[in-house]
Amino acid sequence: MIRLLRIARREYLAYIRTPGFWLSLLLLPVGISTIFFAPMAVSRATPTPRIAILDFTGKHLKPQVVAAVNPPGAPPQAVIVPDPPRPFADPIDARTRLQPYLRGQRLLPGGGRLDAAAIIRPAGAGVAVDFWSRDIAASDLAQTVSGAVGDAIRRDRLRALGINPTTLAQVESLAPTVSLYSPKAATGKVELKDRLPTLAGLAMGVLLLMVVLTGAGMLLNSVMEEKTSRIIEVLLSSASVPEIMGGKIIGVAAVTGTILAFWMSIAAVIIAVRSPETAGDLVGVFLEHGHWAYFALYFIGGYLMFATLYVTIGAFCETSREAQTLLGPMMIIMTMPAVFMTQGASHPDAPLLRVLTWIPLFTPFMMAARIASDPPLWEIASTSALMFAVTALELWVAVPAFKAGALATGRFDVRLFFSTLARRRAS
Amino acid sequence: MEAALAVEGVTKRYGAFTAVDDLSFTLGAGKILGFLGPNGAGKTTTVRMILGLVAPTAGRVKVLGESDPARVRDRIGFLPEERGLYRRMTPVRAIAFLASLKGLSTAEGRRRARELLAENGLGDFADKPIKSLSKGMAQKVQILSTLAHRPELVILDEPFSGLDPANQQALEDLIRGIAARGATVIFSTHVMQHAERLCDQVLLMARGRKVFDGTVDAARASAPRTLLLEGRFDASAMADLPGIVDVTSELLEPDGVRVSAALERGAPAQDALREAFARGLDIRRFELREPHLHDAFLVLTGGVPE
Repeated sequence: MIRLLRIARREYLAYIRTPGFWLSLLLLPVGISTIFFAPMAVSRATPTPRIAILDFTGKHLKPQVVAAVNPPGAPPQAVIVPDPPRPFADPIDARTRLQPYLRGQRLLPGGGRLDAAAIIRPAGAGVAVDFWSRDIAASDLAQTVSGAVGDAIRRDRLRALGINPTTLAQVESLAPTVSLYSPKAATGKVELKDRLPTLAGLAMGVLLLMVVLTGAGMLLNSVMEEKTSRIIEVLLSSASVPEIMGGKIIGVAAVTGTILAFWMSIAAVIIAVRSPETAGDLVGVFLEHGHWAYFALYFIGGYLMFATLYVTIGAFCETSREAQTLLGPMMIIMTMPAVFMTQGASHPDAPLLRVLTWIPLFTPFMMAARIASDPPLWEIASTSALMFAVTALELWVAVPAFKAGALATGRFDVRLFFSTLARRRAS
Repeated sequence: MEAALAVEGVTKRYGAFTAVDDLSFTLGAGKILGFLGPNGAGKTTTVRMILGLVAPTAGRVKVLGESDPARVRDRIGFLPEERGLYRRMTPVRAIAFLASLKGLSTAEGRRRARELLAENGLGDFADKPIKSLSKGMAQKVQILSTLAHRPELVILDEPFSGLDPANQQALEDLIRGIAARGATVIFSTHVMQHAERLCDQVLLMARGRKVFDGTVDAARASAPRTLLLEGRFDASAMADLPGIVDVTSELLEPDGVRVSAALERGAPAQDALREAFARGLDIRRFELREPHLHDAFLVLTGGVPE
């Protein structure tokens, strides 16, 4: 046991002393911060666009468009500039004359350039909006303008039909009060608190997938490095195979655990500061329904199952190219739970998802995502038992396979790999 | 006194291939054994059976009095061939880690690591990453990592390969030192001079079978002594001299010949020399050469190429 812990300690220290570990540690918080704050920063750094609104309809639509672009009590979406020097004979003339301003060849009379222009013109019995912009990708402003024009012409039509403005305003403000109810909700009415178990389950499934993917890569590289340098032979002459495999698996679990603990601590602090009530509910989700025990069960089972597989594969490989040939099919298998987990959270009792839960490689991910829907206890117990039985069988086969792979030389030998497994089964 | 190592009728088969065939030998405590043989002779498989890494198909191995090598792994030091170390670790940490797997505390492992590194001229590199060390230094560190826990049995697979002559000499001294403190040493090598200088016992293997087990002198005795003669005479005249069993010759510049005549086992060289002079052969130089271990190796292994 002490050898196992010493191997685990070396493995842990070897990783936390690398720059890659610190990059991994900081990457997610920095990435998430970037996703949240980058659009805001870009928005703040970008000047408010200057738009000219030319109304050729004669229906006085411009004031309503201006009100939509610059709503009271909200940041302006654009600065409405005075119309460039008139007269414009028609919309086509206006379009032609505005081109030098939009291209930046001319400045507006008060100084400054023109970023966009909305030419509102008659089109048959209706109205058309020609939206010109220096930025081809800018569509928000165009949608605001077209929405405002649409609302305005609908109001005009309704007024023309004899509906007075007060009634119109009342009609526009009509909307139902929608409430969601479910027998699974604590009070009957579905609130964020009731959705938290589902979200937590999905988050746990995703976390497990991340742990497995990052941990598997580390384990594979670690064993490959030791095999290539023949240190593995020294280890085998100093410790038993279960001690070596166990030490590596625990050491890498500690590395990924450290990273996860750091990430989750940051998330917990943010949730606790921004919404203490949600933080309390979240703690309740894990404690009250005993979900923490299920998550722990699936974490241990899932990690052990995949880690054992990757350690054993690593013992048969001497180069990353050899490892890649084996990792390819594994990665395809690993993407399946990622695809179905989100479905598991929204349709936990779908027949296909229930079938997938019975495949031991998918059990930890699918059950983590489905656990919030309180699947029957017999299903939890049976799928968990099957998962641990397969893991035990895998360990039983992996111990001699690891030794055979570690002592073999040359490139990966498929026949040796499977004959070792077959020999163990036969014995 | 009980043998440090006893191998009794050990056979290892992989399917139809026999890697080691009915091997038996014993090695006394404190002795140095040279494990010799061409590639594919079964040396590595035998070492792995001694270490308990692979189980024999037949026979048994008793290491330090135990029939299960796993029980005495803390008392064994092992250096594999084509070795390497954790490149990002420092020598002190690497040695201390491997020693900790042999039962030493990490603190004691570090203390002994510093001691060993200082004794072997690597004190200044104790805390530098191994990847920054020269190849020779790194190999030395790994050899030291097999010794930090003061093993009773040390197994070194090709320990001299990759070392420069000065470091080879230092390693020879180190091996003598290990034996001097009472530990048993087994090392495999392709360089016969090391075995000749160091070993109390040599074990020669070829094609999985033992072809010789005994002292260096006994091994050398299995090869013929050679009578070297130089002069101006007909080399074919040497063939029928008393005690001569084989003759090879080469021409010398500007004239003359050098003859290498193998002597029959136990045949005195004087008889052949006396007859040669009696026949009036123009011999200008003669020398009796005792066989080296290399000669014995070729004879005993049947000249199996390495």
